[in-house]
Amino acid sequence: MASEETSSGGGRRPARLTVLLIVLLLVPFAYSVVGRFVPKGTASDEVFLERPPAKYKRCVKGTDYMRYHHWELLRETREQVVRYGIRGEIALDRCRECHQKRERFCDQCHSAVSLTPDCFHCHYYP
Amino acid sequence: MERRDLLKTAGGTFLAATSGVYAFRMLTASSAGWTSPDRQLASRRWGMVIDLTKCRPECTACLDACRTENNVAFHGDERYDIHWIRKAKLRSGEGSVAPEKTMLLLCNHCDKPPCAQVCPVQATYRRQDGIVIVDHHRCIGCRYCMIACPYNARFFNFKDNEEWPNKARPKRSHGVAEACHLCAHRLDQGSMPACVEACDRGGSGALLVGDLSDPGSEISRVVEQTPVKRIRPDLGTDPKVYYVGL
Repeated sequence: MASEETSSGGGRRPARLTVLLIVLLLVPFAYSVVGRFVPKGTASDEVFLERPPAKYKRCVKGTDYMRYHHWELLRETREQVVRYGIRGEIALDRCRECHQKRERFCDQCHSAVSLTPDCFHCHYYP
Repeated sequence: MERRDLLKTAGGTFLAATSGVYAFRMLTASSAGWTSPDRQLASRRWGMVIDLTKCRPECTACLDACRTENNVAFHGDERYDIHWIRKAKLRSGEGSVAPEKTMLLLCNHCDKPPCAQVCPVQATYRRQDGIVIVDHHRCIGCRYCMIACPYNARFFNFKDNEEWPNKARPKRSHGVAEACHLCAHRLDQGSMPACVEACDRGGSGALLVGDLSDPGSEISRVVEQTPVKRIRPDLGTDPKVYYVGL
């Protein structure tokens, strides 16, 4: 064995790089974990969905369902309407009766997660 | 030899089981799941009768009504304009004394639509009630349907409409093929297409849309009793737009 020690040769040296790599990979997760405990207030973490003036007693589905499944609902409705011609209670026009402005409702979440659904190119939603 | 026997047995059982299940499903498959859940939809067959003797050549009521109702693109440029319904002038040839006829052309909603047959993604399809309609969410804009249509009734949306006259209805965006869908949204809710209503309002009453499968409907009566013609029935597309006085 040579008396010179290189910084990244030999048996135990590569472990340092591995550790560094793992630490770098965990940085985004650490960011989100730490972010939970840092008090909010500065950035636009909050998504505010405007509560509409109630025209109907309640929406077709509950808030939790809509939060996690509204796109499935829209997709199924689209399938029923476009391919089978069955027009029921659920229609984008009816959503619009209560939730009138897109920027205060749809775009709030969509902008927050930088999602641009292509629906509004054709379907009117101001 | 035990491993070979095991493999043979296992493979044979697997094959038998899967093919058995597959065969069972295929043989006992009913078309109930594939047709429209709404029985009423499947029992209709929408058709149209255009009475050219009542149609006034200079009137554009149906054309304007269609354009407004369905937000059909109009830019004033022949390359990009879309006409779901249009008027054509028919002349009888050089030196003929027969007068020029004006004729209305639109999608014929064929019973054997070539456009639906060639659509690679089945975005254009024939609904159970006979309307040929485009699902613009699925259309990829390949324009094969435009090539296939023998009546030149389909158009490509190069530039979407700048105006939005009817905000209750969606407009198409650039990149899809579109054609008349007989105002399916109106027919589904029990009213007549925009062109028919406009023609009735204008006093001509030249357009008639009805259920061809209903022997008591007005359209069935007209088709049976008056001499009607269709455009190029020899092509085998079974068009459902009939012309009186062609």
